[in-house]
Amino acid sequence: MFDLFSDIFTYRDNALTRIDPRAKLVIALAALIAVVTAAGVVLPLFVFGICLGTVTALRIPAKLVAARLAAPLSIVAVLVVIQTFVTGTTTLFAITLAGWQFTAKAEGLRQGALLGVRVLGAVSVVFLLSVVTPAHRIFQALCWFRISRNWLEIAILMYRYIFVLMDRVADLAAAQKLRLGYTARGRAMRSFTALAGATIIHSLEQAKRTHDAMRLRGYRGAMPFGPLPALGRRDRLITALSLVGIASARLLEWGIGG
Amino acid sequence: MKAIEVTGVHFTYDDGTEALSGVDFTVSEGEFVAVLGSNGSGKTTLIGLLVGLLKATSGTIRIGEREIGSLSAEELYQRVGLVFQNPNDQLFAATVEEDVAFGPRNLNLPEEEVQARVTEALAAVAALPLRGRAIHHLSFGEQKRVSLAGVMAMRPSVLILDEPTAGLDPAGEAQMLQLMKKLNREEGMTVILATHSVDMLPLFANRIYVLDRGRVLQEGPSEEIFCHQEMIDRAKLRLPYVSRLMYEMKRHDGVPIDGLPLTIGEARVQLLELIPKGLIIPGLEEQKP
Repeated sequence: MFDLFSDIFTYRDNALTRIDPRAKLVIALAALIAVVTAAGVVLPLFVFGICLGTVTALRIPAKLVAARLAAPLSIVAVLVVIQTFVTGTTTLFAITLAGWQFTAKAEGLRQGALLGVRVLGAVSVVFLLSVVTPAHRIFQALCWFRISRNWLEIAILMYRYIFVLMDRVADLAAAQKLRLGYTARGRAMRSFTALAGATIIHSLEQAKRTHDAMRLRGYRGAMPFGPLPALGRRDRLITALSLVGIASARLLEWGIGG
Repeated sequence: MKAIEVTGVHFTYDDGTEALSGVDFTVSEGEFVAVLGSNGSGKTTLIGLLVGLLKATSGTIRIGEREIGSLSAEELYQRVGLVFQNPNDQLFAATVEEDVAFGPRNLNLPEEEVQARVTEALAAVAALPLRGRAIHHLSFGEQKRVSLAGVMAMRPSVLILDEPTAGLDPAGEAQMLQLMKKLNREEGMTVILATHSVDMLPLFANRIYVLDRGRVLQEGPSEEIFCHQEMIDRAKLRLPYVSRLMYEMKRHDGVPIDGLPLTIGEARVQLLELIPKGLIIPGLEEQKP
């Protein structure tokens, strides 16, 4: 469970972690736009391949990759299935389930596949960004881009306390389990409800204590952010080259698709 | 000169619970004072009042020369700093550096000054190598030290610590107390320690206040406090283990112990006087290869 949120790889020293977070954010945003607006499946799959290859080269455990991609992959599967059976006119095949007939259509399958690879490509870009940039550097960069401070403050606190709450929830769940709280379906449901309630109460209490601690260190409604140094020449060059590469790929794909 | 002066303070929570009733509490500049009390004795309420998180129902609280109510938040938090019992309550930034810099940045100091304070505070708690680490990657002991650094970066003249050794292993506990001793003796910082852990207090505290059910039962140096066994029992506390052992030997076995030793060093000296000289091998440790 905790592997899913592990950020230990972002603190490793490698070529990608050394790049300025602002540069990485701009490149990631450009890649996202290119993937999401792609007309065909080639570009999103290409981006997905590059991201997956980079993640493998960085020796990120396959288990973590699988855990983080599991949710988007299931969304992709649902998208493909829904589009295949709902959209289009050209019949591919038909199946009957509980008296209902479902017809798969070629246009729907194409549309579903396109949506699916867009999701995959976009998620892989975000995943790569998340394993080469610590969260606080992303927040600093977002602050530099003048993203709402209130939003960033909430994001920072959420990021910090998700680990604290996860520890607490794990302890509570273990305590329930040790007292046979999950041995029958009804009991499990009651235990889970109690766990959810306790988590909300813990969150509220934690919020109160943290707010007190922040006040005692001069907090008056706005969290201060540390400055980022001026963007170096190397980072500017990387950003420019990456943007040119992404734009070229997009135009090329447009040419192929168009 | 007095760093903190609390006179006749009462505090009642909204639900009607009277947490403090007529507390008088004084700490001089450069003193190391411990507030000793069992759970529910009023320690945390007293701390809340001293840092302005709570407002006294009646009575006065002075920080230095001034009434607490007349100080702005900025002035107050540069005079009094609080280290919470649970570091998770206090460490809210993503990294050690960001967290320690939180206070100085709120004071609108120039970035060079912020960085200088971060370095100074982390060095003071022996946590400089942790500077770039994520908070959630730190051990509990490291989190405790970093939370102390976060408060020290505000450069308060009075440092209040709520159960600073709770949850620490024996080595971490000793390290934390040594750190506080260093801050007090070498940096001249006034330290107020709220705790119910008695074993190491005689080594560090100049004076001890014993709280019970919102009242000060007794106040004085360790040797004066711990010789009142009845009062210690009434406050639901205990003697330091070494003192308890000597007390029991005196009471049950008639061992002629003078007074009540509070530390292992004192107990050793007293026992050496009682053991026949022929049984003692002087300098045994030094003779080992």
